[in-house]
Amino acid sequence: MKFIIEHLSKHFGTKQVLRDVDFAFDEGKIYGLLGRNGAGKTTLFNCLNSDIKADGGSFYFEENGVRREVSAENIGYVLSTPTVPEFLTGREFLKFFIDINEKSIHNIKSTDEYFDYMSIAYEDRDKLLKDYSHGMKNKMQMLINIIAQPDILLLDEPLTSLDVVVAEEMKQLMRTFKQGRVTIFSTHIMDLALDLCDEIVLLSHGELEAVEKANLDNYEFKNKIIAALRDK
Amino acid sequence: MNKIFKISFSLKNTYRANCVLYAIKQIPILRKVLPESVYKIRDLKILANVIAALWEVATAFLGKLFYFAIIIFGLSQFYRDVPQNQVFLHILLFLTIIGAFLNTGIFNPKKDKYYAIMLLRMNAKEYTLTNYGYSMLKVIVGILPFSVIFGVLERVPLWICLIIPFCVAGAKLFTAACLLRRYEHNGFVYNENAPSKLIWAVIVILLCVAYGLPAIGIALPLYVSVFIMLAFILAGVISVRKLISFPYYREINQQLYSQMKYQMDAAKHANKKSTEKIITDGTFVTSKRKGFEYLNELFIKRHRKILWQSSAKITLVCVGLICAVLIFLNYFPSVKAEANYAVLNYFPFFAFVMYIINRGTGFTKALFMNCDHSLLTYSFYKQPKFILKLFTIRLREIIKINLLPAVVIGAGLPVILFASGGTDNPLNYAVLTVSIICMSVFFSIHYLTIYYLLQPYNAGTEIKSGTYQIIMSGTYVVCWFLLNLEIPTLMFGVMTIVFCVVYCIAACILVYKFAPSTFRIRY
Repeated sequence: MKFIIEHLSKHFGTKQVLRDVDFAFDEGKIYGLLGRNGAGKTTLFNCLNSDIKADGGSFYFEENGVRREVSAENIGYVLSTPTVPEFLTGREFLKFFIDINEKSIHNIKSTDEYFDYMSIAYEDRDKLLKDYSHGMKNKMQMLINIIAQPDILLLDEPLTSLDVVVAEEMKQLMRTFKQGRVTIFSTHIMDLALDLCDEIVLLSHGELEAVEKANLDNYEFKNKIIAALRDK
Repeated sequence: MNKIFKISFSLKNTYRANCVLYAIKQIPILRKVLPESVYKIRDLKILANVIAALWEVATAFLGKLFYFAIIIFGLSQFYRDVPQNQVFLHILLFLTIIGAFLNTGIFNPKKDKYYAIMLLRMNAKEYTLTNYGYSMLKVIVGILPFSVIFGVLERVPLWICLIIPFCVAGAKLFTAACLLRRYEHNGFVYNENAPSKLIWAVIVILLCVAYGLPAIGIALPLYVSVFIMLAFILAGVISVRKLISFPYYREINQQLYSQMKYQMDAAKHANKKSTEKIITDGTFVTSKRKGFEYLNELFIKRHRKILWQSSAKITLVCVGLICAVLIFLNYFPSVKAEANYAVLNYFPFFAFVMYIINRGTGFTKALFMNCDHSLLTYSFYKQPKFILKLFTIRLREIIKINLLPAVVIGAGLPVILFASGGTDNPLNYAVLTVSIICMSVFFSIHYLTIYYLLQPYNAGTEIKSGTYQIIMSGTYVVCWFLLNLEIPTLMFGVMTIVFCVVYCIAACILVYKFAPSTFRIRY
C-alpha cells in the first residue's frame, strides 16, 4: 500500500502555506517530517485529517495499482497536547470507543488487557480523565489510535513534553506499530527524528522533499538536513 | 514630561487603533473584503485612530454621564423624605470613596503600562505620573459638566457643583498616596481589580450607607458634606507631594504585571477549567447503555448540576411564581381585569422568559469544553453517521431538560387566565400551552443547531465565529424586542406555533445536510 499526496495546496489570506505537496509514502515506514517554524506541518496534517479544506490537490491510497479514497476512519491523529473527554473515566472512554467501533476492530481484547499493554496503572483506570496527568492522557490518546488500526497515523510532536520513561515506551510502541500503515511523525527534535524514523522528509516553501541518507553517518546527515532547510 | 506623554499617548493610541482594526476584521463579511495587510493601510489606520480618539473622548464623558444621570441623580429620585440636594451629595460622597479604591488608575494593571515600562523600558516614574496627571485631568473635565447639570437640577448651590470634580480627584489622589505609603511600609501592592475581602466588605457597607440611610430619612447635612468635600480637596493637594516623591513606581508596576500575567493565563484557561469544574462526582455514576447512548447518559448525569438540577430549580421558581400570582388574584380581585388583559395581550413577554430560562447555551458550551473539544480530534467521531446520531440523541435530551419548566409555565398560564376572569374564546387556553411548549422546543433546537452548523470554538476553546456571536446577540435582541410588544395572544400564539414548527423542520434539514462538514474544530 502506498499513500499518495498529489499537488496539495492551501493558502491563508495572501500566504501560500502549502504550495504543491506531492509525495508518495510507503507502508511500514515511519516518516520524520521536519520543517522550520511556520513551514505548515500542522496545516498539512489538518488538511490530511479533513479538519481544514485544502484549496486543491488530492490524496489517496494505492494498492496494487488500484486507487482507494481516504475516509475519516482511515486516519489516526495524535496531537502534541493530548485531548481526551474529561468527564469519562479511562475505562469508560475505552468502552465507548470499542462499542461504536466493534465491527471494525479485529480480535477485541478486554479493557484491562489494553491498559496493561499501555502500562496504565490499575488504580488509574477508573479515574476521570480530567484528573489524568499529561503523560497518561497522551497514552490514552495513543491507545485509542492503536486499537483503531488506522492506515495512516499522523503524530504532531507527540513526545515533546513527556518524561523520559513514557517517551521511551511510546517510541517502542511506534516501532512495533508501524507495520501495515504509514506513520508520519512531525518534530523539531532532530535526534529524535534520526533515532525513530526510517525516512526524513522536509516541508519547506510549501513542498515536501525526501532527504536521502545514502551512506552518510548521522552527523553528516544532520548537517545535510540543516543545510537543506537553511538554503530554501 | 511632554515627550514622555506624547510617546505614551501615541503608544496607547496605536494599541487601541490596532484593537479597532482587529475588531473590524472579526465581522464576517468585512473579514473577506479586508486584506491581510490591513494594519499598514494608511486610510484605515487613520480611521481607526479617529475611532480610538472618539473612544477616548467618549470614555471621558459617557461613563460620567451614566454615573451622574442614573446612579446618583436617577436613584436619588426615590428618596422623597430628605431634601434632594442633601441626598445627591450624600450618595455622591460615599460613592466617591468607593471609586477612590476601585478606580485608582495607578494600581490598575493594564497592558499598555506593561508595554511601555517593561518592554520599551520607559522611565516608570515619569510614565506613571504623566499618565496619572492626564487621567486626573480627564476626571475633572469629564465630571464638571454633569456635576453642574445634575447638581443644579437637585438644587445644589452652583459653587458646590463646581468643586465636586476637584473633590473626586482629591479623594483619588489621597487614596493613591495612602496606598503608596502602605507599599513603602510593608511592600504590599494593591491591585484595584482584585480588592481584598475586607475592602469588599467596606464597599458593601458604604453602599448600604449611601443608599440605605436616605431610605430611612437620614442624609448627611449639607454643611457636613461640604466640609468633607473641602477636606478631600485639601488632602488631595497635600498628597501630590507623596506621589511626586515616591521612588518605586517601577517595582509596583512590575508586581502588578506579574499579577496580570497570572490573571491573563488564568483567564485563558478559566473558561475550560470552570467548565471542567461542573463535572459532578466521578465514578459512582454509571450507565448500562451502549455506544453513543452510553456517552450521552454519562454526560448528562455528570453535568446534572447545570442541566437537570438547574432546570428543576427553575421549575420550582415557576411553580412558586404561578402560585403567588393565583393567591394575589384571589386576595386582590381588583387587579383581575388588568391581569386578564396582560395575559391576553402581552404574551410575547413569555418569549423573553423562555429565552432566559433555556439551558441551551450552557449545554452546548459544556458539550464542547468537556466532550467535543477532545473527541472531535478523533477521526472515528467525525464520521457523518455518528455526528448525526449524536445530534439526534442530544436534541432529545436538551428538549427534555427544557420541557420541564415549559410544561409548568404552559399549564400555569391558562390557569392564571381562567382565575383572572377567563376568555370567551377557549382556543386561547390551548394556544397558551402549545405555544409555550413550542417556544421551549424552538430554543432547544436553535442553540444546538447553530452549535452544529457553526461550531464556533477553536482548539484553544475560544469563540472564533463572528457569525455565531451575531446570531446569539440577534436572538437576544429579538427576544428583548418582544418583551414589551402588545399583540393579541391568539394571534401571537398561532404565529409562534407556525414559526417554531417551520424553523425546527428547517433546522433539522440543515443539520442533516451540512453538519457532517461543519461540525469541526475551528483552525
